[in-house]
Order: sequence, then C-alpha cells, then structure tokens
Amino acid sequence: MISKSNSALLIVGHGSTVNPDSSAPTLAHAAEIRRRKLFAEVGCAFWKEESSLRDAIFLFDPASIREVYVVPNFISEGYFAQTVIPRELELNGRLTKRSSGQIWKYCDPVGNHSLVTKLLLKRAEEVAQDADPAETSLLIVAHGTDLNENSAVAAKREADKIRSLGKYAAVLNAYMEESPLVSDWQKLTRTTNVVVVPFFISDGLHSYEDIPVLLGITKEGSTRLRSPERPTTRQAMTSRVARGEVFRRNPYKVDDRSLFYASSIGTDPGFADIIIEQAAKFDSESSLAG
Amino acid sequence: MLNAIERTLEVALTGCRRIGQIAIRKLDIGGFALSHCDDEGCDDLKVFCSAPEDAIELSKFDDAGNYRPLKTAPNLRHDWRLELATLEELSCAIDHFYPGRLAVFVAWKTSQLRTTPLRETLDRQSGMYRVAAKISDEQIDNVVGNFCRSDGGCLRTILWKRNKRGTVASTKLPREKFDPLHDQTGHKERCIPLLCQEPCNLLVNECRRAVKGE
Ligand code: SF4
Repeated sequence: MISKSNSALLIVGHGSTVNPDSSAPTLAHAAEIRRRKLFAEVGCAFWKEESSLRDAIFLFDPASIREVYVVPNFISEGYFAQTVIPRELELNGRLTKRSSGQIWKYCDPVGNHSLVTKLLLKRAEEVAQDADPAETSLLIVAHGTDLNENSAVAAKREADKIRSLGKYAAVLNAYMEESPLVSDWQKLTRTTNVVVVPFFISDGLHSYEDIPVLLGITKEGSTRLRSPERPTTRQAMTSRVARGEVFRRNPYKVDDRSLFYASSIGTDPGFADIIIEQAAKFDSESSLAG
Repeated sequence: MLNAIERTLEVALTGCRRIGQIAIRKLDIGGFALSHCDDEGCDDLKVFCSAPEDAIELSKFDDAGNYRPLKTAPNLRHDWRLELATLEELSCAIDHFYPGRLAVFVAWKTSQLRTTPLRETLDRQSGMYRVAAKISDEQIDNVVGNFCRSDGGCLRTILWKRNKRGTVASTKLPREKFDPLHDQTGHKERCIPLLCQEPCNLLVNECRRAVKGE
C-alpha cells in the first residue's frame, strides 16, 4: 500500500540536449500526479536533463520520506531500465535500502503495462473518428534497430494484442529502420483508411519529421530544428508550431487512401495513470511474493 | 506542513533573495514575485502566475529562442515576472527553473551531500560514453575550465574534485568557482548557491568529444 504521508514518486525519463519536447510528457504526468496528492512528493529525473539521475539520490529528505517509488517513463524494458537507471541511482535490485533507512522501490517501466494497449486503441479512435475500424489498418511504429531499447519487440507485442481483439481490419507493427518498413505502408496495407501511431514516449524529430517523411506526407527538412546551428527566435517558434501541425492535417490523402497520423503515444495524459499503477503494482506483487 | 526544502528556502530567504539569475521578491500583499535579476525594477514585464507550467516554459528557451539543455547556464531569458501565492509554489517554480538544486542545497546544509570525483563518474560510464574515461589531465583542465566557467558556461559552484586524491577540478577556473558563498553571476549578491556535487552528463559528453578529437 502506498502511504501518502511518507512516500515519494520519482519518474525517470530520458530527456534530450536538443529536443525541447522530450521531457514535456514526463513533467506533465508528474504535475498531474502531484495534483492528485497520492504521494507526499513527486519528482522527475532524466538521463540527459536536470534533475539528473545522480541528483535524484538527494531529492527526498529521509527524515520525512521513508519510501521512494521509481517508475521509468520508458516505452520498453531495455538498456536504460536495466543498466543505466539502476547504476546511476545506486539501486541493487527491485528493493534498495539506503544507509538512511529510506527504501527505494524499482518499478517496471510504463511501456510494460497492459493499459498501454487501451491507450493505443483510444488514440487510434481519436485520430480517425469517422473511419470504420473494419475498413481501417492500424500501424504501430517504433524505431527498430535500437537494440538497446527493445522497442521493436514491445511494438510487436502491442500489435499482436490489438489484432487479437479483431476490431481493426489489420494491425501491424512497422519500423523506421528495419522491416516491415513504415515507408512500405502502401504495400503493407490494403484498406482505404490507415491509422499510424508512433510508439514513442515523447514527440521529437522521429514523430515530427522522420516518420511523416517515410510516410510521404511531408517533405524532408520542413520542420527539423537543425542542430548544432541554433535557430533564431522566429525559426524556433515557427518550427514549434509547424511541428505540432503535422498532427492536425488529418486525414492525408495519398492516392486513393486516407492516412491518419497521431502524435507519440507517450504524450497521452493516461500515462499518468500507468505511472501510478506501476507503483501500486510493485507493492501488490511484493505482497503476493512475500 | 512545509517539507524540508520549503523550510530551508524560508530560512534562506530571510538573508538573501537571489538564486542563479533569478531575483525573488516578497510581496506586501503576500506571496512572491520572481524575475530575471537584470529585470528587477522593470514594471512592464509580462506577468505569469502558474507553477510549474509557466516555470517550465520560461526556463526552456533563451532570449534568442534557443533550447537550453543546461538550466544552470547563464542564459535565462528576460522580460517576465512570475507571481506566486505560496512558499510551496515558489519552491516548485524554482525546482523547474533550476531542477534539483534546492534539494542538493538542503542535503549540503544538513551534511548529507556526497560528492563524486570526475574520474569516478567517467569510469562508471557504459555504451557510447565509456571512451570518455580516456581523457588526459591536460584535456580535463581545458574542457572543465571552458565548459563549466561561470561567464558563459554554467553558474553552479563546483564541489567535486577531479579524482579521489582530491585534485582540483580544473586549474583554469578561478578559486571562487568552488566557493558556495560566491555569487557566480558576478553581481556580488548574497544568494542561494547552485551546487554541483557531481559532473553532469553534458560535461561527460564534452570529455567524450575531447577524447574523440571532435
Ligand atoms: S559539471 Fe556542473 S558546473 Fe560543470 S557544466 Fe555541468 S552542471 Fe555546470
């Protein structure tokens, strides 16, 4: 049981030194959970932004916070969840007792939770409200070749689960850099309607530009913030608007098809519920085991 | 009930009203107003009032609209005033302008802060950052001296050493860079220091680039 008065939640994200939107979903989920007052304190830590994972060791005062639930806001179980986060936070397993007596509970990453499937379905419905699922193919797009993150495996698992519901005419996992390639979507699908949901934790170059280019719905370079050259205020502002714009021009008409393109799944506010669930699951699983 | 950070902040604000480039003013009607320290006294600033949302946005880009990957870099944007009703909101806002710095300050005040030498941080890395450990001492002097300097680099006070023997982080940095009582903005104000207890990921990346000759 999570005890509100002396428990804290630490949400861990990847963050980015170039993408201003990378940490946005993690910070938004933290703000939402803070509002619900389920934990005495809610903090965030990032691999590439501040607070760093090393800072996180000092975020919660051991005199008042006795337990810290650590939930990785990662789409899959991979290098970060298995190696980087435990190492940087000095965790030695699922349960770590600090010299101060504070207990750190290392929960599963959000992407592992069964609610993700529901959120994928919800997002697909929202983005293509007028499309009959029986005449629609759903594509769940991950990076692929990112062996570190196993996101290709997770995307395939989600596609399998949604396919088994029999709701959509077809459900496919597709990748940016390995087959089945998202750029082959016209060959991979037969239906008039096609819904594409990027399987990422936040929006960034992949969802704003790379996937739209592979789908053939935008031209290369239309939205990219080129790094390391720094954009001027106007370029940055225009780019930010333009980057969100790609999700607002649905449906895209390509030949005789209608393509609906959604923003990254991790931006769904429902991920706040998943984070809370992962913390609660830690305790329920521990009590079953113990 | 105030938590440890809010309590420490309350005490600290009796003697100073600065953290990094932020000036904190207590309002007569209660509450607090934050602004860029260069903008103190300006009355035509754009007013914001919600923590954390406004603090997140205000700290994200510099005056020219560039993304700020290091929040303690001396490039906080100008022309805003953030009004907050409570100490809790103030603490939350500061934690989004300068993430983690208040908690580290509390740990330092209560002698619970551990520092980690640069060499230890580098030796711990894996994957693409593993190579950074090959950096020479001479390269460290230059990389740290350039990347962490307060004028144009980072406003934190360095508490970590180069190695376990306690060698100074960089011979190219002035002694004040390691003094928590010194105002790293150069304004000579009393301020809550932005402490650096361990080299950040950006510095690790700079070390990697130096090793690879980039
Ligand atoms: S190592 Fe510390 S002082 Fe240097 S840039 Fe990073 S945060 Fe700033």
